[in-house]
Amino acid sequence: MESKETARDGNQNNRDHKDQRRRNNGTKQEGPKREAILDLNKYKDTQIKVEFIGGRQIVGVLKGFDQLMNLVLESVEETLRDPEDPNVLTKDTRSLGRVVVRGPSLLTISPLDGSEVIDNPFVAAEVQA
Amino acid sequence: MLPLYLLNSAKSQPILVELKNGETLNGLLTNCDSWMNLTLSEVIQTSPNAEVFTKIPEIYIRGSHIKYLRLPEQTMDYAKEQNMINMEQRNKNQNRRGGRPNNNSGNFNRRRNDNNRGGNYNNRRGNSSNYHQSHGAGDS
Repeated sequence: MESKETARDGNQNNRDHKDQRRRNNGTKQEGPKREAILDLNKYKDTQIKVEFIGGRQIVGVLKGFDQLMNLVLESVEETLRDPEDPNVLTKDTRSLGRVVVRGPSLLTISPLDGSEVIDNPFVAAEVQA
Repeated sequence: MLPLYLLNSAKSQPILVELKNGETLNGLLTNCDSWMNLTLSEVIQTSPNAEVFTKIPEIYIRGSHIKYLRLPEQTMDYAKEQNMINMEQRNKNQNRRGGRPNNNSGNFNRRRNDNNRGGNYNNRRGNSSNYHQSHGAGDS
């Protein structure tokens, strides 16, 4: 019985050691890039547009977030898509109110302020050239 | 030449990103991470049917949904140049420390050196997964 106990203790120590080594190894591989590449603090209490994997698009006021990029949005409006062609957005929206967005299903995040629909800029460039 | 290393050296340059849904984004690469998540600035977003064009000051893109990236032609040369500089730096460091690289060096340096040695990187990965396995065996 006792020997079993010590054996398990030894195992535990061993495991801890390995655990630590693995962790050290991990940080070495990842380098200093542990922090997010986007600072969401600057978007707090401003309107942002969020696109989801699968194609849904919403606009809402950013109230909170975490390091996994889960978001808390308020006064959310979803932009509805054409039922025939899901690539095409319609002018219709629906209100969702307060929403928690799951980080892993995010596709893009962009600020609404300063965004605008423009004419095809690439055709113009070709014509000029 | 590692893809992520090339991408890293394309920072602040104009790139084109096409997402899996067919959307394309033209903009300056501001930052990227090891998952290929990107932040672009001064972006023009084109819808999948190439009908709607949107100007966006900044955008964050999930790396797992990128189909491909187009980088400027010079990026490769620039990356090679950087690679050479880093190699020289590493050799200097090695000599100073009597053939033991990376000891006590800052995080930044360590990362750069890792990037230069693709083979070692893989070896380490193998090791770390071994740790995983043995760890799992200990549990059962």
